[in-house]
Amino acid sequence: MPQLNPAPWFLILVFSWLIFLALMPPKILTHQFPHEPSTLTAHKPKANSWTWAWQ
Amino acid sequence: MTMNLFNQFLSPTFLGLPLIAIALMAPCLLYPSPAPWWQSNRWTTLQNWFIGSFIKQILSPINTKGHSWALLLATLMVFLITLNTLGLLPYTFTPTTQLSLNMAFAVPLWLATVIMGFRNSPTHALGHLLPEGTPTPLVPILIIIESISLLIRPLALGARLTANLTAGHLLIQLVSSAAFSLLLSQTTAASLAVGLLLLLTILEIAVAMIQAYVFVLLLSLYLQENV
Repeated sequence: MPQLNPAPWFLILVFSWLIFLALMPPKILTHQFPHEPSTLTAHKPKANSWTWAWQ
Repeated sequence: MTMNLFNQFLSPTFLGLPLIAIALMAPCLLYPSPAPWWQSNRWTTLQNWFIGSFIKQILSPINTKGHSWALLLATLMVFLITLNTLGLLPYTFTPTTQLSLNMAFAVPLWLATVIMGFRNSPTHALGHLLPEGTPTPLVPILIIIESISLLIRPLALGARLTANLTAGHLLIQLVSSAAFSLLLSQTTAASLAVGLLLLLTILEIAVAMIQAYVFVLLLSLYLQENV
């Protein structure tokens, strides 16, 4: 199997990690995720009971 | 005959230059960076949605300390899924069929999770080597077995991806060469082979995406154990 030939192994390791560390993360980092409100942060407005004025 | 079939996996060189570098650049070149304006185009929105939902899904079982791995896992996922799916186009080279590349990613990342686990909570990390409720006489054997299973993880991670993609590409080449050679003499057999090839290609598209996902998912599980 040509994959088991150890000759290009180090080169492939170096190239792949170089691209994986230097070129890919900036592309992923430029994606922004504007704040999406989650159920944990949303607070329910306190419901004030409304009493009629003439009581 | 077998040597001929495996030649497609030979790391391609042209005048001594390794062409795998160009193949590895493909994910970087195919995804344009999002522009700073508020409303992005369809392709950017699609990428954004994919990365966002993938990270949400994969980081949900991991505690907050492990969330610093988000960028690494997202990059790895995009990288692997692009390399795998692009390799299904005819006459392209799939870098992920190279055991060297998959081991180059599996071993350091797995080792990172293990070292993190041993540095942050060594007792807890060592505790993983003995499942709860083991009968006392079985303890030594089980520790040995669990250690072996721990050490075999990077090998399994790398070999899984390599084997799945290599086998798929090999099958596609076999079936397509059969269909081609039968084309003139036995046309019905050739058309059956073409039908099989179509189904196989659909399977391989699924396998390409699933295997990339499984690689990253398993890494996130190893992270979850150690964080």
